[in-house]
Formats: sequence, C-alpha cells, structure tokens
Amino acid sequence: MKMLHRHIAFACLALLLALLTACSREEPVHHIQLLTFGTIVDVTLYGVEADRARQVFAAVEEDFKNMHAAWHAWKPGPLARVNELLATGEAFSAPPSVLPLIVRSQELARRSGGLFNPAIGRLLALWGFQSDERPPGPPPAPDAIAALVAARPSMDDLIVDGVTVRSTNPAVRLDFGAMAKGYGVDLVIDHLRQMGIQNAIVNAGGNLRAIGRRGDRPWRIGIRNPRGPGIIASVEVQDDESVITSGDYERYFEYEGVRYHHILDPRTGYPTQGVAAVTVIHDNATEADVASTALLIAGVERWHETARALGIKQVMLITSDGTIHMSPAMAERIRFETEQPPHVIRSDPL
Amino acid sequence: MQADNRSSMILQTTREDHLIAWLTALAITIHLAESALPSPLPGVKPGLANIITIAVLVRFGWRVAAWVGVLRVLVGSLVLGTFLSPTFFLSFGGAVASIAILGLASLVPGRPFGPLGYSVLSALAHMAAQFGVAYYFFIPHAALLHLLPVLMTAAVIFGIVSGTIVAAMFRSSEKRC
Amino acid sequence: MRPGDLLVLLLAAVLVSYLYLAFWGPGTAGEYAVIHANGSEWQKVSLHEEHEWQVPGPLGTSTLEVRDGRIRFSDSPCQNKACIHSGWLSHGGEAAACLPNRISVQVIGRDRRYDSISF
Repeated sequence: MKMLHRHIAFACLALLLALLTACSREEPVHHIQLLTFGTIVDVTLYGVEADRARQVFAAVEEDFKNMHAAWHAWKPGPLARVNELLATGEAFSAPPSVLPLIVRSQELARRSGGLFNPAIGRLLALWGFQSDERPPGPPPAPDAIAALVAARPSMDDLIVDGVTVRSTNPAVRLDFGAMAKGYGVDLVIDHLRQMGIQNAIVNAGGNLRAIGRRGDRPWRIGIRNPRGPGIIASVEVQDDESVITSGDYERYFEYEGVRYHHILDPRTGYPTQGVAAVTVIHDNATEADVASTALLIAGVERWHETARALGIKQVMLITSDGTIHMSPAMAERIRFETEQPPHVIRSDPL
Repeated sequence: MQADNRSSMILQTTREDHLIAWLTALAITIHLAESALPSPLPGVKPGLANIITIAVLVRFGWRVAAWVGVLRVLVGSLVLGTFLSPTFFLSFGGAVASIAILGLASLVPGRPFGPLGYSVLSALAHMAAQFGVAYYFFIPHAALLHLLPVLMTAAVIFGIVSGTIVAAMFRSSEKRC
Repeated sequence: MRPGDLLVLLLAAVLVSYLYLAFWGPGTAGEYAVIHANGSEWQKVSLHEEHEWQVPGPLGTSTLEVRDGRIRFSDSPCQNKACIHSGWLSHGGEAAACLPNRISVQVIGRDRRYDSISF
C-alpha cells in the first residue's frame, strides 16, 4: 500500500536523522561563585559533566583558601611571619609558600622601575588599607607618610640566597596585594590543567585568566566602566589570555568629600590621581596584575614606557575625565559598548 | 479495497490495527529524531510527531489518537532514558493538554474542525502546558515569561504547518484509493 | 478550510498578540539577580518587582533592596559596609558582596552577554 511505503520511508529517514545528530542538548557550562581569597571568585568551566565540575570547584576553593591563608598581609600566617623576621634584619629560611612571590616580585619590581613595590606594607597599614574594615579616615599625617617614603623600602633591600632571605632595610614590610590575585589565578589555572580541564575562566575579584574557548566561540569578557554603571568595553579571548584591571574604585575611603583609594604611589606615599583604571591583556595573570597596577601609577605620561619595560603589549588606560589611551594591539580587539563613542587616543605600538 | 467480502471484515480490522501500530511506531521514531535535533530555544520543537496524532484523530477518532499520543511520549522517554526526568514531564504535560483539548474539540457538535484547526489547537495547548510545567516547577522567574510569546508564535506556526501536511496527506490518499 | 479552523486561527492570532503586549512591553525585560548566601544559591530575584530581601548570614541579616530594575545592599551587619558602598547594580555581570556575612549578589542580564567581567 502506497501510504504504508511512504511511512516506512519516512521512518527510515527519521531513524537516520536520529543516528546522525547525536549532539547533546544541554550546554556543558558550569559556573560557581566563591567568597574566598578576600574577594568574589568566579570559576567557569566548559566541556565537563556536572559531577566533574563539582569536584573541580571543590579543589579550586581549597586552593584559594590555602593561598589566602599563606599570603595574608596582616593576619597571622606565613607572610606575617616573614615580615616579622625581615624586620629583624637576620637571615631566615623563607616558607615555600612565600618564597616564590618574593623572587618573582623582585624581578617585576625592577622591571617596573619600582612602581610596583610590594615592600611598602607599612605605608598601606598607615593608610588603613591593611584591614578588613574600611578606613574611617582621616588620611594619615603628611609627616608620617613622608617618613615612611624617606625610608625607601624596596624589593632590592631583600637579599635572597637559595631559600634564605634577609632584609637590609627594617622599613620593608611585604604586602603582595598588587600581585596576589594574578599569581593565585595562575596557580589555579595550572592546577585546572593538571586536572585535565582545557576550557575555563578563573576570575578573582575582576582579575581573570581564560583558557580554551566556550565551545564554538571564544570567551566574551566585559570590562567595567570605572566611572559609571555597566560595561564600557568588551573583548573576546581564547586559548590562554589574562584580562586584568586595576582601578581607583576597588578599595577606597572618603573623608570630607575627598576619595582616597588603595593604589599608592611608592614615590609619594599618596594614592595616585588622574587615572581611573587600567586594563591589560597578557598571557600570564601575574605579570598582567603587576602591570595593571604599575601602569596606573605610571599615569598618562609614563604608562607607555613602563608597559614596554614589562613586556606588555595590550593596554587600555582610562583617565578620570574619561579619555581612553590604548595601544594599537588593544585597539584592534576591543569593542566599546557605550552609547556614545569615547574619546580614544591611540599610542605608538608597544 | 481488495480480497473477497467474506474475509475482508476480519482482514480490515487486522490491517487497521497494524496501521495503528505502524503509526504509533512512526510517531515514536519521529519523536526520537526530533529530540536529537538542537533547538534554538528550549522547548521549541517542530512537533512533527504531532502530525501522526492529528492524522490518527481525523481517521480513527479521539480514543485511538489519545493512545498514540500518550504511547509516543511514554515509549519515547523510555527509549531516550528521560523517563521521569524534567524533559519527560514537559513532554507528558504537553501531550496530556494536547489530547485533552483535542477531546473537547472533537465533542463540539457539527464537526467544525479539520486537521488544520485540530493541529493549531493541539500545538497551542501543548506549548502552553510545557511552558506551565517549566515555569511553575523548574524555572520560576520572570525571565522565562519573556519567552512565552515567542514560544506560542512558534507553536501556531508549527501547528499550521502540521495541519496543512495532514490535510495534504488525506487529500492525496483519498485520490489514491 | 472548515469554519472551525478559521475560528481557531483567529483565536490563535488574538492570543499571541496579547502575549506580546503582556510580556514584551517596556519594563518587562526580565532581568534578575542571583543572591548567594554562604556559598550556595539563596534566591533568584526579579529586578522588576520592588522588594526588600532579608538574607541571613553568620553575622546577621543583610538587606537587599530591589527598585526600578536595580538591586543594592541597603543594610548589613558588617563593620566595613563596603557592600552598601558598592551601590546600585543594574547591568548583567555587576556584582557586590558582603564578605564577612558571606552574602553576594550578581545581576544576570537578559542575554547573558559576557562570560566574565574584568574590573
């Protein structure tokens, strides 16, 4: 019977379709938000099952908890202990959780011309930024600031010999805030890779590194507007890229109408002025984190040469009045999401 | 159609049963094939298997169509391994609503509906029920409501397409026999 | 085409039109925020329904206020009050947290445009 034959043919076709299209209906994307490492940590995984994702998230949370305890700048722990010992001027064996940060930051501090300076812990404490609480103000007395600046604590004051460390300047107090998030993200990404994860984003307080892709498209990253709500720009990243932003809006206090933020210029002892935010795209997050801080301190005048010295090629710097400076490599890939086109100044290539 | 009158009575019933079994199997197969296709929005399926249900309704009546519809979802979910999963409840809710409305529609005196009307009614009920199950049991927030107009538009379109196909099927088979 | 079919089509047209008016008009964007308490999801809240959410945490109850398509911490038992100072969140991806009270909120935009935000 013709109708029956037609139906058989149809059924065969349907079966063929079913066999050919063995695609999964649900996207294998898993995301978790952790309150750890002193900040909000977002981890996104692509291409793993829910159970595996849970395991991975648990491991990542553990990693961040450990790093937070090891590198805490003021609570008791390995770093606090190191700071105590540094103040004595005696040589000591640095704990393995802290030594790599010391070694890495020495090199980066040098390359940044001292703009990245994790040895100014005492200045940060003076301003009240070494605390879970917001400093109530007022800002510290200029004499106190000047005294600490004059002591010129620097990473060059640390003599590292194998695992032994000694400080030649009692004013040195280590606070790796400008590097810890990037460094932590790098370690966690390494751990993810060891666990066989190839597509992920690890974002610690807005400092992120993305590996692989989101399935058939790159990862889409939004960059927050430093002076208004929402997203100012977006960029697509893939394979292995870090997008790190430093801004004057992250930690601050206000006193008598003036805003004092937590990124101090080591040369003056005061929070920087003029630059609202710097975004850097680079392969590893440690250097990107250091660079974003150093470039913010370098300001409009010197960001270009500092970026060159640090080997950074993709920079976006937004000044307090909204002007945007960008390297050509960054300009090529950034996409502005604002309604009005911003005032953009393209720099020379880096 | 063929054979002599004496045995055609028995033969006709058996052939009809075979046909129903074939149609159910076909509906299930199409259901399986559809489930493998990616859909741009969750819950938006072409509803091709519904063609069979409507065709059965028009040709064999509501009770048989109800069987085909329910069996299609049950067996389909068992084969796919989604029995008692959220997907299953969505499909089953949709199937029950669709069958219910078809039942009500077929009771209306004067038989005002053809395959097109049945198909659109069925698609609307099916999608509305699926949405209801999804919204109340799985994702109860406002963002989902934003999808509802789109889903119902798709339902109407697919309902019209299915209904047209069923009507065409009957027209061509009438010509043949 | 039977008379009943035509009726059904008209009914469908009316129904679908109504749905667009009801759910696609301005102010029905359907944006929502996710509130996490102590590591797990506490509630998904619509940004289009004015509400004050009392979220429990180890330090006490933090209050999140939803108004005019935005959400913010309006009160919190922490000392820092950094969460409150984060201000109003309205766009997808924006987030704020009261770390001491282990409460965070993140706005999920309608089209989930970004996989992650750098700030």
